[in-house]
Amino acid sequence: MLNADQIRSVLEERAKNRSVSDKKVADVREEMWTLHDKGELTVIPITSKNSPLEVETLFGWKKKIPTDYLWHHKSCGQCGNIPGYPASLLWFMNQFGTHYLNEPHQTSCTAWNYHGTATSNPVALAAVAVRNWYRAYETGTFPLIHCGTSYGDYKEMRKLLIENREVREKVREIMKKLGKDLVIPEEIVHYSEWVHVMRERIAAMVRYPLANIVATVHEPCHYYKMVPEDAIYDPRVYGGQRPAPPTSVLLALGAQVSDYSTWYDCCGFGFRHILTEREFTRSFATLRKIRPMVEEAHSDVLITTDTGCVTTFDKSQWVGKVHGMDYSLPVLAEVQLAALAAGAHPYKIVQIHWHSTPVEKLLQKMDINHEQYRKEFTEYLNQLRNGAKPELLHAPRLEIEKYFAVNKGNVISEETK
Amino acid sequence: MVFRVSVMKALLGNKKEPAMIIAGAKESAGETLALAQSIFSQFRADFRYKEYVRGCLNCGECTTGCPAARFYDFSPREMLQVALSDDPMVLYNAMQEKIWACLQCYTCTMRCRFGNEIAGIISVMRELAVKNGLESTKELLKPYSRVLLKIMTTGNQVSPDMIQPDFFPDWGPSATSKQSELSLLRKAIPIDVLQVTDAAWEVSLQTSLELFEIYKEAGVVDMVAAVDPDLVEMIEDIVADWKDEFEEMKKEYDSKVKQDA
Repeated sequence: MLNADQIRSVLEERAKNRSVSDKKVADVREEMWTLHDKGELTVIPITSKNSPLEVETLFGWKKKIPTDYLWHHKSCGQCGNIPGYPASLLWFMNQFGTHYLNEPHQTSCTAWNYHGTATSNPVALAAVAVRNWYRAYETGTFPLIHCGTSYGDYKEMRKLLIENREVREKVREIMKKLGKDLVIPEEIVHYSEWVHVMRERIAAMVRYPLANIVATVHEPCHYYKMVPEDAIYDPRVYGGQRPAPPTSVLLALGAQVSDYSTWYDCCGFGFRHILTEREFTRSFATLRKIRPMVEEAHSDVLITTDTGCVTTFDKSQWVGKVHGMDYSLPVLAEVQLAALAAGAHPYKIVQIHWHSTPVEKLLQKMDINHEQYRKEFTEYLNQLRNGAKPELLHAPRLEIEKYFAVNKGNVISEETK
Repeated sequence: MVFRVSVMKALLGNKKEPAMIIAGAKESAGETLALAQSIFSQFRADFRYKEYVRGCLNCGECTTGCPAARFYDFSPREMLQVALSDDPMVLYNAMQEKIWACLQCYTCTMRCRFGNEIAGIISVMRELAVKNGLESTKELLKPYSRVLLKIMTTGNQVSPDMIQPDFFPDWGPSATSKQSELSLLRKAIPIDVLQVTDAAWEVSLQTSLELFEIYKEAGVVDMVAAVDPDLVEMIEDIVADWKDEFEEMKKEYDSKVKQDA
């Protein structure tokens, strides 16, 4: 174990060398601003309106994390299978009075498909990114990326658009046809970075303490292995040798974080494997991750910060029973666990009924009366069945928005909050 | 791996274990070589080749961290050797099966002491397999028609109504819902745009049309047509109908705005 001085010296050395393994890494943000000044592209700036907070990344570079006036860049896997993931995030934002826009004028990043089937290319991926970023830009909001793969992809696309003139020209041409400009956000920001900077405020809301809970963390590969220099590190979390979120959040919430030997391994999602070669995915997830988390770390809950990882770990456990491996380790995103601890409804907000691996035993350990909540939810479903209006976290879209956007330059209005 | 085989037997009875598709090239040896040479030229001409492939010490650091290497006859070190080989057939053969074992986790890329972007160069090989309509790739992508339809029309990878018990028996009974129950559960999500079953979220028509325009302009439609021309034809029909609907709505809305003014 290194002492504080040794950690500081290791981190200083890393910052000086600016290298991942032996690769020298340049800060593309410097070139991005040069291109902005030349009129080659427009940077979507983080302004005081976004109430940014500053963090440090791998090499000690400063990164601004906007906390207000955000454009939710949703994740197709989260919204499709784990809807309590974005709902928990929006729930917290409502608690804090955060201004945000969550609308139908977004596509996914399409990178799940790209990494799975290769039916795309750099120009298309970059154009998809810019189209989404532009929508945030024209509404005066800043994109907050929910998915780890979207975050990884957008970091790559930003780098590509800055470093490759040919791709930039092609994307600009496509954007022109769509009536849009080539824009790039000042920072690519993952939702977990928002949760990280808000962790003390979130911790102040805790109603169900986590002191009894042993959590194991899976760090999503696309958060820190793709364009590693953009991920947040903090000397207080594993001596700055692993990304800070979500461990930082768990520590702030008062949970016990337990380590295990295969922390560096991926989850086994594989993009195409999770859909058409699941014999691999479930074997890898169970043998290389779930088993050590339970047997070595005695985990009560597996915490991660990405769509694919939650899906993989949650869905892969049931079939383990065939081999007597009934670990039933609850799998949650950190923002879901935080919402549960802060008193959010486990079914109406955190939507735990979408999880294949039951979460109830964790709730029991947290002293949450899940049976009462379940009863309330069943009643709510009956009301919906009988035509009641659903409870919503924000005002619904306008009818016309089914077809097109009408609120350009009109950041979320007061009456919708 | 015992675990993998026996789990599949438990699920599928005596059905053959799903395996990666082996090269199904029907061309003559001469045609195959010509195709391999053409792909090789495209590979070396791709702007990413020079950036991603920087040399290899064969240290195997990439493979020690590779999840796929633990279960498949696959190694990122070997893939890099393939990328460095001057023999077009070496590349062509690897493109039939091996490249699809990669998980795209980027662990190899982060570990490589030489700065190779191994996951990235595998993506380039995969793109070329699609673009050149390799028979093995057509087979491999057959189960993806529905996903591609969803992606190219909404930008969503999967939708809740695609998680059906027939396709996901191993996810357990609570992972899938009956259609009627699914609509109700979606309605109980407190975010309006998520209360749909045929997409992860409701995507506006304009957004869908813009996405398709991007795919057309960037050459993705042509890529997909090389492996599934029928699917592309169907999508183009859908998009044409949507365009008409969009124009009509836009006209109606503009005239209403004018009237109100």
